[in-house]
Amino acid sequence: MTDVGVAVLERVQSGVPGLDVILGGGFLKGGLYIIQGPPGTGKTTLGNQICFNHVAHANRAVFVTLLAEYHARMMQHLSVMKFFDASKIPDQLSYLNGLAALHETGLRGFVSLLRKEVTSRRASVLVIDGLVTARRLAPDEQAFNEFIHDLQAVAIAAGCTVFILTSSRSDVIEPEHTMVDGIVELADELAGWAAESSLQVVKFRGSGFLRGRHAYKITSGGVVVHPRIEALLSRPSRPDQGGDGDGRVVSGLEQLDTMLGGGLPEASTTMVMGPSGTGKTTLGLEFLAACTDTTPGLLFGFYETPKRIDAKAAGVCPALRNLIDSAVVEVLWQPPTDDLLDAYGERLLQAVKRRKVKRLFIDGLGAFQSAAAGSGSDRIGMFLTALMNEMRILGVTTVYTLEVPDIMGPSIRTSIGDLSSLAENLILMRFVEAGSQLHRLISILKVRDSQFDQSLHEYETSSQGLIIRPNSESAQAIMLGVPIVAQRERNSGPARTGRRR
Amino acid sequence: MGIVLVVDDEYGVADLIEAILTDEGHRVLKAPNGRQGLELLTKEQFDLVFLDYMMPVMDGSMMLRVIEGHPELKRIPVVMMSSMPEDNVAERCSGHVAFMRKPFSINEVIKLAMRFIPSSTE
Repeated sequence: MTDVGVAVLERVQSGVPGLDVILGGGFLKGGLYIIQGPPGTGKTTLGNQICFNHVAHANRAVFVTLLAEYHARMMQHLSVMKFFDASKIPDQLSYLNGLAALHETGLRGFVSLLRKEVTSRRASVLVIDGLVTARRLAPDEQAFNEFIHDLQAVAIAAGCTVFILTSSRSDVIEPEHTMVDGIVELADELAGWAAESSLQVVKFRGSGFLRGRHAYKITSGGVVVHPRIEALLSRPSRPDQGGDGDGRVVSGLEQLDTMLGGGLPEASTTMVMGPSGTGKTTLGLEFLAACTDTTPGLLFGFYETPKRIDAKAAGVCPALRNLIDSAVVEVLWQPPTDDLLDAYGERLLQAVKRRKVKRLFIDGLGAFQSAAAGSGSDRIGMFLTALMNEMRILGVTTVYTLEVPDIMGPSIRTSIGDLSSLAENLILMRFVEAGSQLHRLISILKVRDSQFDQSLHEYETSSQGLIIRPNSESAQAIMLGVPIVAQRERNSGPARTGRRR
Repeated sequence: MGIVLVVDDEYGVADLIEAILTDEGHRVLKAPNGRQGLELLTKEQFDLVFLDYMMPVMDGSMMLRVIEGHPELKRIPVVMMSSMPEDNVAERCSGHVAFMRKPFSINEVIKLAMRFIPSSTE
């Protein structure tokens, strides 16, 4: 019996990183699309990029300009782009100026010219740059609408996917918006002193697509779009199998495992909160030091370079250094000011999937938050929720650090709301002053579906790593202001318990 | 002074060459594609042709082939123009006498006119 389900429409991939994902696989063959945005947003770059990517696969394309911009100048600008390939011009990719034809023969004559050029050059992609000129030269609205209609006919008849580049604004509904098969809008906005570019598919007939805005950058490789992580992962990449996450995994610190009630729940997310200097990163390194060949790890960090991590590991966690050397643990560092929120998310997801990472340590959740600064206050929560859901589905046990502003005292303030959705387990590390001494205390605030040790424990960071005292007596003494008890105990008390090996 | 034909689909380019050569005392006619260029070639005695490579309707290589095959027109020197390097167009444009890469300078246009229109040097 033949499949009488939904027909699969043939796609033309743009080849623009991220865009085809947003479009569900690419533009539809023979469709008529508008790419619009203000000057400087990269419409011409995008149009050319689509052409060069198309001809790179033995296809042919035509780029027709209706603007005053000279092809020679455009070529100069394009020649520095990685996608530019002079050898494809003119045999596979032709650059034509249609202004003369438009002036002399009007819109009808211009469409006729396009049809002939597309047919004779066997082009399967046509880009028309400068719709505003055609609109200006149209005798009336009716003639312009007929022009768009005729273009659609050319696209269908020739099996040629047509892109019209224009500076139209999305808040003004033009007749052509209702006639074309899709609209891709580029925008540029200031976020403080920085400019942020975003792409939105406003309309896309015949296919689902990732709605909403997606950040993009224009790089030496052309336009690179980063699909919004929460849109991309609105449904996790695979169904939750259940069962996998019922076990426990070691945290890397024996005493911490005891406090957690038997280790970290497998495939859970753990937030380690505390002010700077409390040893959050060291705890994360201990977590990674428990990686094995079958449970590879990833350190995704923002503030400490690989060299500093290496030095730190050599000091407090030599086993981790060996694991890094043998590629059981990968260290991925990115400057916190360097990139877009979704670019970070994309890189993290790729790194996790590439090596089938099972133990992930994200050092510095605040960097995600900074990168999200221009995206609206509620963005970071949704972004992290989507990302962490995906990690759970992939069976990744995640530990991440969040720096809190208060250095001392009992209060905890974070800049991210609704922590419960982001972390199934919460660990708090803090400083406490008692007498003239500065002490560090660690406590568990929450463990997924589990009982845990609710008492405070004193700990030390030393050249041997993080050492947590096995009972809460010293912490209790510190909180009561009698640290001398703790001191005495430290001198003659029970053996210290450190990392699990 | 000579008569020059500029064949280019980019108005701006054709207008610029026209302005430069008119200032030098030449008469310039323009066409937006090869087909219209050939029509003009049969109506005037041209001394030089500036011919763009990529154009709609009839491109530069096709027009050059027609010129080369014509007993009278083939005496007219043709300067091929393109924003691509000469290597990209050389294979299909063996009959041209010179190549001018876009974007070009005013002096390049003047020098080419002086080279192929004898009276320009006087």
